[in-house]
Amino acid sequence: MIIVAIKTESKKWDIKEAKKLFQEYLEKGIKEEKKETKLPENTVKIDDLNRKQTLGRIYKLTDSIIEMIYKNGRPSIKLPSRTSGNIIWDEENDLLLLGQQIMEKQFHSLGSVADITRLMKVLEKVNELLLKDMHATKREIFYSAVQLFGDQKNSDKCIEDVATMLYTTRNSTHIVASAKGSCIGRLRIRDRNDIIDLEGLGSGGWTITPMLDNVEILESDAEFILVLEKDAAMIRLSEARFWRKYPCIILTAKGAADIATRMFLRRISKELKLPVFTLVDSDPYGHYIHSVYLRGSKRLSYESPFLATPDIKLLGVLTRDLEKYKIPNDCRIPMNQTDIKRTKEMLSEDFVKKNKAWETDLKLALNLKMKAEIQALSTFGFEFLTDQYIPEKLSTGDWI
Amino acid sequence: MKIFYKKDGGIVQLIDKEKMKEWPIELPLIFIEYVRNNQLKSYDDPKIKKEIEKYLDEVLTDVAIPGLIEVLDGENFEEINKALVRIDELAKKTPDMVKPIKPFVEKLINKNIKEVNSLSNSIIASFNKAERKKELAEKRKVMQEKEKSFLAGNLSGEEYAKARKEYLVLKE
Repeated sequence: MIIVAIKTESKKWDIKEAKKLFQEYLEKGIKEEKKETKLPENTVKIDDLNRKQTLGRIYKLTDSIIEMIYKNGRPSIKLPSRTSGNIIWDEENDLLLLGQQIMEKQFHSLGSVADITRLMKVLEKVNELLLKDMHATKREIFYSAVQLFGDQKNSDKCIEDVATMLYTTRNSTHIVASAKGSCIGRLRIRDRNDIIDLEGLGSGGWTITPMLDNVEILESDAEFILVLEKDAAMIRLSEARFWRKYPCIILTAKGAADIATRMFLRRISKELKLPVFTLVDSDPYGHYIHSVYLRGSKRLSYESPFLATPDIKLLGVLTRDLEKYKIPNDCRIPMNQTDIKRTKEMLSEDFVKKNKAWETDLKLALNLKMKAEIQALSTFGFEFLTDQYIPEKLSTGDWI
Repeated sequence: MKIFYKKDGGIVQLIDKEKMKEWPIELPLIFIEYVRNNQLKSYDDPKIKKEIEKYLDEVLTDVAIPGLIEVLDGENFEEINKALVRIDELAKKTPDMVKPIKPFVEKLINKNIKEVNSLSNSIIASFNKAERKKELAEKRKVMQEKEKSFLAGNLSGEEYAKARKEYLVLKE
């Protein structure tokens, strides 16, 4: 007996609700294009600087240290505190920001001498990178003085401290994370002197470079952006050439959202004035990933205005979808204690409390004590995600 | 971004020409060529195609050409050389696009630098070749008309022979 799999021509949905949202965002984006985001007064203002400007800040800082040495021989460095008590949710802009609590690190204190030596080492490396117009990864910084840092955790912390100390973004210091995310779809960009067509790079797409200062958006006819939590979903959409049927740009950070992917998403959504949808696992971790794209992480709250993409819609997989699409029980996974704890933590966040639909969905997850991965949808066939689930949601406006 | 609206409610967005003024001088030309060769055909709407063609012409006259002229008129021969290499490629493929800078290239022929000289000559040769091609196409059209007239008996054999001779000389 020969079994033949027949691929039928899939229906093209009229994604009318997504198109409506696209028109709204476009109009709003054009109006707000020239308007600057105003941050609350009790928060720290961070600037995205070019090479020359960052070097200027380093010289200003070192001048002030030298001045202190001349004055009393006891220099210190002041920088905004990055503890959770100093993190503020700005309701108006929907961002997590850093408050104005300042901490001081003394050069002459036994408690902070190791920390300040590491900090100065990182500052020296940043200065070198900027002067040479080069970029380095966090790992390279660690290896530049292994004995001093001891553990990469220490150098990573110093890298963030240096950026905060200079009141700038980490990208402005030319220290970047390794490339992780990828992007595909209706977009043409420039990376230095090369024009890259994100539709013509095979099924893997373009690896989002951490050196985003070299990248510029050239052309696009996309109408929305789809952010996927998982690479597996990216492969599915890429194989289906989803963006050809539905004009979009698709990207994934392959799990937790890294800086470059977040920054790139913010750039394309803001410059192109497009609505953004996320497709994550139906579990607290997936919801957390969505929240990080949406309003930033607590750890990097000082950079939120440059990393967060406010007003992202959570397209799925929602807890209510488990019932709506009748996901079989054997494709659902019972929540463990950590999942329950994380869901409760999410429910205690102010930004969740303010979004009733989101709160309801998380409460439903707590009631059902069930979670599911995006891949659970393939129980209805490999094409279900691209031919039914996503288009149907975009057509009916079934998102949070 | 510069927005172009499609009839079906969709859009095409292209980078604003003001941003291109900060680019390396050869890049605006590469961009124009890229959009013309690769993207234009993908926009189904003829109205949008026309608008984008017009915008690309603006980029050419407002950004690309002034940028090149500035370099060709300057004294930095490394930059001049780089620009000429790019112009040479374009003059071979799409001579009309870079024709406005012909007088500036002509000036460079007299410079005493071997590379600059040879590139300038090559560019001028491409321009001349393109002009001759255009002239020939026009003449061919006239010749076809004359042939029709001759066959219809409205043109004398002498006149036809004269026109034919002129055409063949140009073709040679």
